Amino acid sequence: MLKLIKLEMKKFKMGGYVRSSLITNVIILGVICLISYVENLEGAVVFEDYAVALQLIETIIRATFIIFAAVLISRLVINEYKNKSITVLFMYPINRKSLIIAKLLIVVIFTFVNIVAANIFVGGGFYLLDQFAQIVPDQLTLSGLGKHSASVVMNALATSCMSLIPLYFGMRKFSGSTTIISSIFIVLIVCQDMNGFTLNSIVFVPITLAVIGAITAYLAIRNIENKDVIH
Amino acid sequence: MTYIVRTTQLTKTYMGKEVVSNVNMNIKKGEIYGFLGPNGAGKTTIMRMITNLVKPTGGEIELFGEKLTNHSYHLLGRMGTIIEYPIFYEKLTAKKNLEFHCEYMGFHESKAIDEALDLVHLKNVDDKLVKEFSLGMKQRLGIARAIITKPELLILDEPINGLDPVGIKEIRDLFKLLSAEYGVTILISSHILGEIEQIADTIGVINHGKLIEEVAMEQIREKNTEFIEFVTNDCRKSVFVLEHILKITNFRVIDNRLIRVYDSSVPQSEITKTFVLNDIIIESIHKKNSSLEDHFLTLLNGGGISA
Repeated sequence: MLKLIKLEMKKFKMGGYVRSSLITNVIILGVICLISYVENLEGAVVFEDYAVALQLIETIIRATFIIFAAVLISRLVINEYKNKSITVLFMYPINRKSLIIAKLLIVVIFTFVNIVAANIFVGGGFYLLDQFAQIVPDQLTLSGLGKHSASVVMNALATSCMSLIPLYFGMRKFSGSTTIISSIFIVLIVCQDMNGFTLNSIVFVPITLAVIGAITAYLAIRNIENKDVIH
Repeated sequence: MTYIVRTTQLTKTYMGKEVVSNVNMNIKKGEIYGFLGPNGAGKTTIMRMITNLVKPTGGEIELFGEKLTNHSYHLLGRMGTIIEYPIFYEKLTAKKNLEFHCEYMGFHESKAIDEALDLVHLKNVDDKLVKEFSLGMKQRLGIARAIITKPELLILDEPINGLDPVGIKEIRDLFKLLSAEYGVTILISSHILGEIEQIADTIGVINHGKLIEEVAMEQIREKNTEFIEFVTNDCRKSVFVLEHILKITNFRVIDNRLIRVYDSSVPQSEITKTFVLNDIIIESIHKKNSSLEDHFLTLLNGGGISA
């Protein structure tokens, strides 16, 4: 499996995606800084405390990488079907299930690692900025940080699973754009924020979506050995 | 005799329509099996079923003496294939494509890639992306990919599509070499009959999803008769002359100018002389061998010979 993942990553030049996710991180940090700076100029209080600031950062990152995952799914899976290169792949003496699982694992792991890493990077950057610019009135406490870290990891786990849901829609007509559009709907569900109330904060919602994501993956590979690859 | 591929009552139905019905094919070890049939006859579907890309609705496939099932992954490693259009990862170079292919096939031989590219005469393609290849180049690369792992069975669907005449000859020689030197069994389909005729040991003719005939090329060659082909200005008169003056009955009118005379008892000079004496203008005369093409067309027309 590890070898399949490695091959798959080489084949699709994953290095390029790592680079673009780094750039994304910088942009998110830039946006956060810009918001803080502009609001500060106007004398308004942007973030009441660190909890609010970090949650905003976490939400933006999550939204970004749900869509990023959809892009990966469309490149790694949907496009293989669309270009029929899947017929090449499925003529190898390798279990078809393993081939697809390898691809989906890349998406899940990439999403998880990136969400966690981005939170550390952007959060850290914001903390440094705050030391100089005094954006947030209160101070970051160790317990606050601990609590936030736990929620970041839990959310990252749920998000990396639910990011597989677009696979279902994309596979119906082998369309990359459908995949990405359906990921935007997921973002609308889990990343909206109405005066501090988010659907994502109802534990039931992210967990259900994550389970649906896992089921999507299961459905995609369940029948793969018995089905015609092309019609 | 060992069979590499055997199908029994192989059937495939798409939406209620039988595209392949009850095909019993037998491909012997080491032979080149030519697969003939008009477009849409079911050749590609059968080849896809042999490579497990499409699952049969009925019947069985036996590969290397083993029944092909949904889990027969190990069998896939023993064959090389081109099915229909040669498909690659377009954003990678030819070499990278072959490297990945070898990795997935579990084949590790550093020289193999260059050797394969040499065999199909693909040169100076090191840094070129497959996206920029012409169809002929892709076809060559496809053949390189199929043979690189030195498979026991080659399944080639229209492998000479898009190749120029020189290319066709090179590839034909390559197939002959693979068959003769390495004992590779080859299943090759083509709609260019002349090609199949030159390399196949056995041919299978398929039409409307049914295997009409499976016959050794030698048998067809034996059946071949020589004939003389006339192009005249007046067909009706020529027929009259042949029938009533020369007393020849074994001839065939191909179209309203072309007549083939199969009877060899009357020499060509005699026929020509009689034609001329009867004011028939002969535009051309050829002595010919009935080829696979005739055999093929006869089969597809249901064996009806028009006189």
